[in-house]
Amino acid sequence: MSQSIKINFTINGKRTELTIPPYMLLIDLIREELGLKGTKPGCLEGECGACTVLVNGEAVNSCLYLAINVDGKEVITVEGLPVTPEGEIDPVQEALIQHGAVQCGFCTPGMVMSIKSFVAQCNKDNIIPSPDEIKKAIEGNLCRCTGYVKIVEAVESLF
Amino acid sequence: MKKDLKVIGKPTPKLDARIRASGQAVYGQDVVLPNMLHGAILRTKYPVADIVSIDVSKAMQLPGVVAVITGDDINANNINYKRDNPVLKRGRVNCIRDEIAAVAAVTREIAQEAVKLIEVKYNVKEGIFDPFEALKDDAPQINEFVKGDQHINIAHPFYYEHGDIEAQKRKSAVIIKTRFELPRMTHCCLAPCAITADYSNVDKRLTLYCVTQIPFLFQRDMARVLNMAPSDIRIIQTVIGGGFGSKLDMYPYEPICALLSMETGRPVQITFDREEEFIASPTRQKMTIDLTSGADSKGKFTFREARIIMDNGAYTSWGATTPFVMMQTFSSMYQLPACIFDAKAVYTNNVYAGSFRGYGNPQATFAVERNIDLLAEKLGMDKFEIRLKNANYKDELTGQEMKFISCGHKEALEIVSDKSGYSPCHSREGGNLSNRYKRGIGFASMLHVGGGAKIYPSDGCGTNLKMDDFGKLTIITGSSEIGQGSETVLAMMASEELGIDLKNIKVINTDTDIKPWDVGVHASRTTFVAGNSLLGALKLLKEKLSNKAAQLLKTEIDDLVYEDGLIESTTSGESFKIDKVVREIHFKPPNELCAVYYYYEPGSEFQDKYYKGNVSDTYAFAAQAIEVEVDTYTGNIKVLDIHVAQDVGKVINPLGLAGQIEGGVVMGMGYALLEELYSEKGYILNPNFHDYKIPTSVDIPNIHFYPVETNDPYGPYGAKGVGEAPLIPTAPAIANAIVDAIGIRIVDLPITPEKVLKALKNDA
Amino acid sequence: MKFNVVSPENTKELLELISVNQDRYFRFGAGYTDLLIELKKQPDEDLTVINLAQLTDDIFTAISKIADGFRIGSLVTAKRISLSKDLQSNYSVLTEAAKKLASGQVRQVATIGGNICTASPAGDMACALVALQANCEILNSNGTLRIIPITDFFTGVRTTVLQKDEVLRSIVIPSNNRKNKIYSNFIKIGTRRAMECSIVSLAYHILTDEKSIITHAGIALGSVAPTIMLAKSACDYLLGKSFSSLNPSEIKEFSQKILEYASPISDIRASAWYRTEVLGNVAKSIFEN
Repeated sequence: MSQSIKINFTINGKRTELTIPPYMLLIDLIREELGLKGTKPGCLEGECGACTVLVNGEAVNSCLYLAINVDGKEVITVEGLPVTPEGEIDPVQEALIQHGAVQCGFCTPGMVMSIKSFVAQCNKDNIIPSPDEIKKAIEGNLCRCTGYVKIVEAVESLF
Repeated sequence: MKKDLKVIGKPTPKLDARIRASGQAVYGQDVVLPNMLHGAILRTKYPVADIVSIDVSKAMQLPGVVAVITGDDINANNINYKRDNPVLKRGRVNCIRDEIAAVAAVTREIAQEAVKLIEVKYNVKEGIFDPFEALKDDAPQINEFVKGDQHINIAHPFYYEHGDIEAQKRKSAVIIKTRFELPRMTHCCLAPCAITADYSNVDKRLTLYCVTQIPFLFQRDMARVLNMAPSDIRIIQTVIGGGFGSKLDMYPYEPICALLSMETGRPVQITFDREEEFIASPTRQKMTIDLTSGADSKGKFTFREARIIMDNGAYTSWGATTPFVMMQTFSSMYQLPACIFDAKAVYTNNVYAGSFRGYGNPQATFAVERNIDLLAEKLGMDKFEIRLKNANYKDELTGQEMKFISCGHKEALEIVSDKSGYSPCHSREGGNLSNRYKRGIGFASMLHVGGGAKIYPSDGCGTNLKMDDFGKLTIITGSSEIGQGSETVLAMMASEELGIDLKNIKVINTDTDIKPWDVGVHASRTTFVAGNSLLGALKLLKEKLSNKAAQLLKTEIDDLVYEDGLIESTTSGESFKIDKVVREIHFKPPNELCAVYYYYEPGSEFQDKYYKGNVSDTYAFAAQAIEVEVDTYTGNIKVLDIHVAQDVGKVINPLGLAGQIEGGVVMGMGYALLEELYSEKGYILNPNFHDYKIPTSVDIPNIHFYPVETNDPYGPYGAKGVGEAPLIPTAPAIANAIVDAIGIRIVDLPITPEKVLKALKNDA
Repeated sequence: MKFNVVSPENTKELLELISVNQDRYFRFGAGYTDLLIELKKQPDEDLTVINLAQLTDDIFTAISKIADGFRIGSLVTAKRISLSKDLQSNYSVLTEAAKKLASGQVRQVATIGGNICTASPAGDMACALVALQANCEILNSNGTLRIIPITDFFTGVRTTVLQKDEVLRSIVIPSNNRKNKIYSNFIKIGTRRAMECSIVSLAYHILTDEKSIITHAGIALGSVAPTIMLAKSACDYLLGKSFSSLNPSEIKEFSQKILEYASPISDIRASAWYRTEVLGNVAKSIFEN
């Protein structure tokens, strides 16, 4: 009943062309078409943030995003964060680890992406966020294990 | 010889955190196997009905569908604690969760579409959704497989008593009787349930990639359900995205997935979406508690009489045994001369309850602690003083014969009172900020098992250790990691004992074909039981190493220390690298591998038929003081500060410990203020994160944690169980704080803004 | 969930697509935060989604100062509104409403047009716009523009005056005339402090002259009636009164006038009783402190 649509986009720095059904969700493009399982399906209703990815640097819920709308855009998933040859990972991830902010870890990739986008914005605006601003920045990422305290501390340590 | 601890007590990031934070951890929904199919389950449309017919022909014809099974097609035994839950229902359905048929197809979408094509004719029946209705004389039998002794619908009765209750009543200056209503709360693991079953029709073996937190009991149960030998079933635990007790029971989707794989000869995966997770995974017991509490004129507690009706739902999970834990709180939290405890898990046509972090204790503690505030008020006593006066103490033998070999209850109470700035003259007037906002402080304590709980014939855990020729240690432990940080705690202990770096230690803990037996993650037992098991194994490993090292260093075994990857003689100062010693053992006589095995069984006792006995080697104690601000215009509660003092025995990993405390407290806050799975005539009304609200980052208060170290004689390094405790006293402390602020009556949870406003209005 | 998608890149293509789809079932998709959830719950139909996310015409996507106020394209996201300094200084009721909407991820994509056209009585930005007495600029497939006050836009729960051949192009917020001070805020009552759909919301935009006399008042109520309501008589009641010195009986009377607009329902989130009670209380709070 529906025609497929060709899209061109960048995924984790790699230019990609794909033909996909028009109704495909971004999370399915990422997890099923591209096999990138780091983006987590928590609720598929935009309520939990586990599937958060960056589109043009901004955090969005990939479960409520039509895949064809990444045409011409840059998508970054947790797999797209740089790892050095020495195995050093992104400072956001490292901060979460060092502060004990990762328990079951299912919310973590999405949390990382929300924090990435927030930190970039703060750096751009040259502001050091307050704990309340940090909490607000991750309000769309539910975590059932940590009670958020260590996550907020980890983000504070990045400034 | 005794030495200062170098690793234990130091903040240590979780070993598995890097892989999780990098998105490389493989959770149940991330598993991909060659030729894998996807399964989906048809659940009933009505909570209670006779199934007149099931027509799967249209589903079978859908391209991409490989198999459709119903109850008539399978040969499987019932599951769950009372074996009262058929994997696929035949003839009748008993609650809205009920599984009627299942499909395996080449994609998840096709499987879900096929499920919609299955035509079921129902003869809809009236259900019973109130346990008090179910207990009426003329009530029909709800579960056809279990006929209760006391009443056909009582799935599990419990009765306990100690002391002379009548004498204690006579001694009482005040008696408070309250009826409490506790809601259905659910776990909300961020990862929905997922399983992949892989049955080989060649070797007749079944591999399950699943999320159970009790792999060995699960293996045995699965074998019984499928009429297989347990050893032919291999359980591989994927990375588990949250447990909190939800994975203590088997649920029908797990054998269904196995059956689909056996039917098709291909791997099959079933994953829940969030709605299915809300409807088909367990809940905390909804219950009604009638609690009568007494105190004498000096404020000493005299007795408690608790009569409890629990809504079991349509089937009986381990959750029906939560009174086992509740009675400990009623009988033994604070000193108590006499107690009667009567609880009944009653069948209804609601979704069935399961086990949940705290295991009945949050409900019990809520009732006990609310009544204490009411007793204090009636006596005109300070609410902190009355708690301190009755606090548990070291070497106390309680009426239920629990032995408090170490006990930090009093200290915990004093700490939170002090840190919260509480003073007896603190009063409602003092808390009035304005006409609109009012503040109050509340207290609550908690008592929970801290050294395992002997409810299964063994409460033990096995450990295999091997140190390879390069000095790297592999810990193969029976225990499981569900995100709580057990791997890290175990590796820290090994690092401490062997003087090797954490990065030279691996923990293997996910495969029943490899790991030795363990009863599972429950009762806050892993650090205590798996820790002691590991320490036993390390002792054996060190014997091997030390024998050789003493020989090489020409010294006595007692002179050796393990540090910085070396085994050193304290007399000569000479040392050998630990890997060198391993190679000397391996490649020269005695030509052995550096591998050992140890099994640890706690010294705890089975309770007798009267539920008396020292069921755990040790017990955990905690107190919380919580300050809240009430918006009297909206009824919204802002939790400002939570002070937590908890007897943890000994801090092993401060980072992981604080994480358990903070996460538990926030979960307790959800229980207090937000969370209830609403049900109407058996239907779930809020199966989503929009209407079932768990705390978000902006809802959290300041959490202040003060560990109390009582150095338990039986605990590893003195540690005791931690995981469940922090959420247990939070709800009653919040409730007590709200009452302190605005003087309303609170007897149920969650304390929603609407309930607060209504109470304010009614009291005005 | 299956559907066709057509993605116009400019107004002309959009109008053509609206035109050719007149005989079919079609829906507009912009931020998709409501639409996808709705479509997932529906059986598949022969549906075409007119995807507005790739439309780049400024008139749909820009916030611009115009002679008599501000124009906001219907595709402007909640995030952009929340960050707009112009809107913040003139109409903080709107920027506050945008900030309190769902979560950062949702605000990133959710559009003001979507918030209006969904026509939920709980719409946050829509409620603020009613308080601001904004006008909706509606294009039909012929390219004809009609302008209607947002107070007339909603006809019921999830229904609007939009015809099948029409699309909401932009919203115009009138200038703040004769103001000395602006009292403009969005009060959102939920159970949690984030990720909430309002149980009650109250948007107010009140202007005073140099003597603190109220010269203009716009007060809108969300989640207490089938549509967002402008509490006209409560607004009129305030005119000519001093914002800073309303006496308790005046505040009470004001609050009672507000309540005349409330006909809430009871649902899983709150009872009608609670909604009414809270609305009365928070109405009073505007004039406290």
